[in-house]
Amino acid sequence: MADHQGSSMANQTPITDEIFPKHTSKTYALVELVRGESAMVDKGPDDTLFAFPSVLLREIVLFLGVTLAIFLFSLVKHAPLEEIANPFVTTDPAKAPWYFLGLQELLEHMHPLLAGVIIPAVLVLFLVVLPYIDRSSAEAGVWFGSARDKQIVAWTALYTLFVMSAYVVLDNAFSLRELLRAGAPQWVAQGLLPGGILALLVALPAFALRQRQTTTHQIMLVLFTVMLVSAVVFTVSGFLFRGPGFKLYWPWQMPGGYNPWDGL
Amino acid sequence: MTRTSLLARISESRVWRSFFRHGWPDNPLDRSLVMTSNVFLHLHPVKVSRKSLHWAYSFGLGVISAILFAVLVWTGVLLMFYYVPSVERAYSTMKEIQLSVPLGQFTRDMHRWAAHAMVLVVILHMARVFYTGAYKPPREFNWLIGVALLLFTLGASFTGYLLPWDQLAYWAITVGTNIAGYAPVAGPAARQMLLGGGEVGQNSLLRFYTLHIAILPLLITLFVSVHLWRVRKDGGLAANDQRAASSEH
Repeated sequence: MADHQGSSMANQTPITDEIFPKHTSKTYALVELVRGESAMVDKGPDDTLFAFPSVLLREIVLFLGVTLAIFLFSLVKHAPLEEIANPFVTTDPAKAPWYFLGLQELLEHMHPLLAGVIIPAVLVLFLVVLPYIDRSSAEAGVWFGSARDKQIVAWTALYTLFVMSAYVVLDNAFSLRELLRAGAPQWVAQGLLPGGILALLVALPAFALRQRQTTTHQIMLVLFTVMLVSAVVFTVSGFLFRGPGFKLYWPWQMPGGYNPWDGL
Repeated sequence: MTRTSLLARISESRVWRSFFRHGWPDNPLDRSLVMTSNVFLHLHPVKVSRKSLHWAYSFGLGVISAILFAVLVWTGVLLMFYYVPSVERAYSTMKEIQLSVPLGQFTRDMHRWAAHAMVLVVILHMARVFYTGAYKPPREFNWLIGVALLLFTLGASFTGYLLPWDQLAYWAITVGTNIAGYAPVAGPAARQMLLGGGEVGQNSLLRFYTLHIAILPLLITLFVSVHLWRVRKDGGLAANDQRAASSEH
């Protein structure tokens, strides 16, 4: 029945109806030809859900959860409020907000121009150019990409944790700044040397990888991991281990009843 | 009257239809229209891949940042009803908020902890996006918007840090802005402009306040809108891009 109808119509119908058949027994038809790459090209079968209500429900649950967490935490711990601001009485230690304590920690080891301006500028610049250097679209959407990438991140994180902690402790014990105060000009003792040491520590794992076959993406994984873990090390050091006089102490042995957590 | 027919009657009434441009969302068309016909929801996609919804993929960090921002706007506006950004009155209004304003201490606590949490969550969000390779083409520009949002978040937190006008605030901002002053040529001028003088004083308090309650929240709102819109335009979360993962591994 359907066959008969289809063949009899094909004789009289215009060409467009042959391309876009309307009355066949087929359950599919060519509807339109489009040029270019859509969001779903090469993406495999469409395994999607409607955002309403799947996404909206998850957002509402997250909203309630996050608000409840902040709510409960506020019941347990109050925001600090010290004495009224007094420009004539310096607090000891005087610390920046916690997210800038990594920079304040760096200030202890090198010239302020390097610690406070050049290094943060380089970090922001690195973040800005990052997606334009690493342009491979392979391995997007998967945590750490391949198994080798995962290994690279893990080893880089361990390496950075170790060398940056060692740098803080060693430079605190045998301060380059003090050792070279008489022998070398300031820009060498506080600029070139600490800057060179840091640059070497950052470049070392990337350089080690260059010996083998390595993609740009893997170099970026190394650099970003060094940056992130270093930021954590310096921030924790500045926040938790620096006490009165911005000297290093164990957090549980702070003199004068100073509690780093009071400054949050 | 059954429940469904009641819902149908409500959702087809003239009043309901004047509010919402779609019917009761129990079918694909109306479920699409819920998202596309609402100015706030249309930043979402209509459909999302099942994979991008996996908790362990994104940990919801971007959404959590946005939620914390909403909590901060809400509690911040409440605090603005009492806080006065003047050197003479800032600290005493803080005391007043904590001691005599109903739920004042609680509102301030929520504002403070949500602010710290937002800085932390935004940083974690950046790490998540990086380690899932979600900055790669075509998402490079959205990564840049994200970097700007990170800096705005730090700025919003830093400017808010001064407002209580206690010793903690005063010396943290003094230390923080001293760091900026070390930049050659532009450094001292930038510090002078930010503080409105040589040291932290009335001008600084007013400038930080204006940045904190108006300029930075507006910038964040604007950039978050573009950020979310670009997520949709660039094909949703990168978890959708299974081409690479399935062909290579």
